[in-house]
Amino acid sequence: MIIKGEEYSVMAVKQQTSDSVVSATRGRIVDRNKNDLAISSIAYTIWVRPASVRGSGADESENEATTLLHIRQLAETLEMEEEDVESIVRSESKLLRLKKYVDSDTADAVRAFSIYGVEITEDAKRYYPNGAFLSQVLGMTNDDNEGTGGLELQYNSVLSGLDGRWITNKDNKRNSLAYGVNEYYEAQNGATLWSTVDQTIQKIVTQKIAQAVIDCKAQRAMCIIMDPNTGDILAMAQTEDYDPNNPRDPLAGDEEDFEMMTTEQQVAYWNKNWRNFNICDVYEPGSTFKLITTSIALENGVTNMNDTFYCKPVTVADYTLKCWYYPLSHGKENLYQAVENSCNPAMITLAQKLGLERFYTGIESFGLTEKTGIDFPGEGSNILQGYNQVGLATMSYGQGIAITPISLVTAIGSIANEGYLMQPRLVKGLLDEDGNVIEEFEPVVKSRTISEQTADEVLSIMEKVVNEGGSGKAKIPGYRIGGKTGTASKPEGGGYSDTDVFASFIGVAPIDDPQIVILVIVDTPRGILYGSNTAAPCAHDIMEEVLPYLGIQPEYTDADYKTLKKGKVSVPDMTGKTGESSVGVLGGLGLQVQFSPELPANAEIEVIDQYPKAGTSVVTDSYVTLYYNVISSEEAEGE
Amino acid sequence: MSKIKKKKYTLHKFHDMDFALVLVTLVLSLFGIVMAFSASYYYSISKFGSPYTLLRSNIINYVLGWFILLVFSRIDYHVLKKLALPAIVIGLGLLVAVLALRGTPFTLTINNATRWLKLGISIMPGELIKPALILFFAAVFSSNENCMKNGKTLAISIGLIVVIFFLIYKQPNLSTACIVVLLGVVMMFVAGLNPLLLGGVGGLAVLLFSYLYFIDDGYMHTRVVTALDPWADALGDGYQVVQSLLAFGSGGVFGRGLGQSIQKTLYLPEPQSDFILPIIGEEIGFVGIIALLILYAILIGRIISIALRSKDRFGAYLACGTGALLAIHVILNIMVVTATFPPTGVFLPFMSQGGNATWVFLALIGITLNVSRQAREIPEDETE
Repeated sequence: MIIKGEEYSVMAVKQQTSDSVVSATRGRIVDRNKNDLAISSIAYTIWVRPASVRGSGADESENEATTLLHIRQLAETLEMEEEDVESIVRSESKLLRLKKYVDSDTADAVRAFSIYGVEITEDAKRYYPNGAFLSQVLGMTNDDNEGTGGLELQYNSVLSGLDGRWITNKDNKRNSLAYGVNEYYEAQNGATLWSTVDQTIQKIVTQKIAQAVIDCKAQRAMCIIMDPNTGDILAMAQTEDYDPNNPRDPLAGDEEDFEMMTTEQQVAYWNKNWRNFNICDVYEPGSTFKLITTSIALENGVTNMNDTFYCKPVTVADYTLKCWYYPLSHGKENLYQAVENSCNPAMITLAQKLGLERFYTGIESFGLTEKTGIDFPGEGSNILQGYNQVGLATMSYGQGIAITPISLVTAIGSIANEGYLMQPRLVKGLLDEDGNVIEEFEPVVKSRTISEQTADEVLSIMEKVVNEGGSGKAKIPGYRIGGKTGTASKPEGGGYSDTDVFASFIGVAPIDDPQIVILVIVDTPRGILYGSNTAAPCAHDIMEEVLPYLGIQPEYTDADYKTLKKGKVSVPDMTGKTGESSVGVLGGLGLQVQFSPELPANAEIEVIDQYPKAGTSVVTDSYVTLYYNVISSEEAEGE
Repeated sequence: MSKIKKKKYTLHKFHDMDFALVLVTLVLSLFGIVMAFSASYYYSISKFGSPYTLLRSNIINYVLGWFILLVFSRIDYHVLKKLALPAIVIGLGLLVAVLALRGTPFTLTINNATRWLKLGISIMPGELIKPALILFFAAVFSSNENCMKNGKTLAISIGLIVVIFFLIYKQPNLSTACIVVLLGVVMMFVAGLNPLLLGGVGGLAVLLFSYLYFIDDGYMHTRVVTALDPWADALGDGYQVVQSLLAFGSGGVFGRGLGQSIQKTLYLPEPQSDFILPIIGEEIGFVGIIALLILYAILIGRIISIALRSKDRFGAYLACGTGALLAIHVILNIMVVTATFPPTGVFLPFMSQGGNATWVFLALIGITLNVSRQAREIPEDETE
């Protein structure tokens, strides 16, 4: 009689036992000041057992009448179409979901009808109180409340906690029995993620890059702000944020296009919106990379602050590499000027003096040969040049390589952190439900890139570039800011685009005690494409608000006071300067620049004349018109 | 039989009833009430809102049944001989009536099977034909010692069995039809049916079964296939049998304890009815089932003993028929609930809840008790 008894017994238990999940509440995500970025709220789901709702009374017509009444009640309360409710109630399925994410008032209203066969379950729903904000960092969750992207995915196991279980015997209609098994295991709620991001800084950044996109008629803009001392990411933004509450809704303005898309196109569209460019994608850093080359060269002693270079084309293994300024020449220049001029031959000289081994070791110590290891899923891999002389030469000025924005910020961060390369991070610890710290993660030092002295030297070069050179538009009175702009053509069909560039600015502030490293990338600006005219002003606008917010007091120099007085400025001589640097220099003096005729896309120019003439005293904010010759429009290399 | 007749024996008209039979019947009745109550408890709440609704009707069944038992035990069973012909005629008439009245308010059709006549009270002609057949066969067979060698009697007997089989099969009600055939054949065997003929009948049964299993693809084929592999359609035709096996499995050796069945919570439909044995197995385990089977063995053993001691053939055939019917029901029921016979409703005597069948069995035992009252008072060793 009890042959296979065990087996049958197990099957019986399976059939008779209800093992329902007691959902653990998903932990919150808060910013570094414990403001909520993502929270879990309770939502209700309305379920229907169609056969039960239709009733099984003896009187068919009475059943039909109550069914219709129930359909009307449900449709009205849940704000659904009656046909939709009806098709569910008329279904032959055993159990169907009528509506999810219903709020508690509506759920109560439905409960009040006490319709036989209508059941209400409680679910935790993820809610992002800021809506479309920081979304590429936060990621999103699916219907099952599991993280499917961003921090939600990276820290899913921490956030989700441990579901509890309620095991109980049920009859064939799934009603609990008063006897038999009844075990309840409490759910362990997920921990709260303590992010390094500062909501206020992130808001400033979000707003400013959106403005930059408008000002530069760009496709989009990205920005990372990192604390170089810890690797904490204070802000990481890109235009545009999707709303993680409804990640599949098209962005504002895209609704009509979205409607026209095929399913595949929609998926591609979503992925484009959801992808975190700053971590997952690579771009050509261009001249900003020259800071790395300079650092390695200084560190290895192959150059010094007084070293001199001569700008002329360099031939490497049958390739003649020209400066972007060619056929003009920067002539004789010292190290600072070489960086300021973004002089390609100078950089090649540095790299060649270093040789393959030392240069690549340097690149490696800056963490550029591998992923940064930031706590985020899907980090992109940097693409470097081959281990050969041509690769060495082109890489030295940031061309022919593609790196993730986060890896550049991390590398430059080490210059701002006395040579210590920090592992970048988005989460600094775990909190309990009340916000008490459960665990605080220690910042991780990954490697030593350069000595403190080299770091100081590179920082001083960066400061000079901002104060006197082409990154002048990043200058903020009262703050010592260092930086470097870059403009690199976007890859297009195996070559480089003639018109599309990544214009970028990387900055460190304040130079004497760096608190932030900022990278701004403007993707495909129109008009004046230079980093000095697109990314640097954006970085300026951001730092202007972020530095005071961080409690860094401005210390005004005499020069600052002069500029601040809004008094008169003597127009400097711009003839012979490049477009990039003239914008920077005049911008640094608080003057507006106008090219005549309007600049062609991605062209390199030399200023041949100006109005007002050099030495003229003008009021700050007034326009200086520059006349120019086009040097090259296609051979733009590096900058 | 012939030997018995030649013995000198004493008539004891209306002496004491067979005490053991009364006792075991009483124990089974009470045990049945308890188990049916336990099995129906949840179902009764679910269907009628009270756990006691079915218990109440079952107690009424048994009170009435025991009244019938006591009445029959006090009526000289020879009186019944005169009723044999009217009984079988009325029995056949009712069977015809069920088929004829199908679809009218006078019959009850459940799951496409019309088995009940509604004439004030619910009557199952399929149940009533069983005692009628026992009575009729007892009357016919007892009139002639060599009846089974008499072609006419043989033909009438077989013809009657075949007619009843088809009338019930048409309802359709395979189990009852089979039970009637088995009952008839057993009684004919007792009456001296040629074992070769019996073998032939058995062979025919095997052929029929093979036909149903391998060739035919209708209702019966499904039933047969389901019997051999209920898991093939565990949510459809095999559902009850599968649920039955799950109940036995979860009961194990000692069971979950009285009242603790979970399979009765609507997993097994109408658990107090034909599929009560799995609930008994689930609640009191293999041990409980064995105890129950021992009670059945004693019951049937006592009835056979009474048949052997009967003062005449008629009494012996009546008791024999009663014993055979009980044994057939018990065996078939066990086969069904353990997936060795097509899943079909077979009443488990004294355990399953049901008015008609309970009354029939108690009436038959009442008659048997009357046979025991008139039996020879002889020690077992004197029968030789």
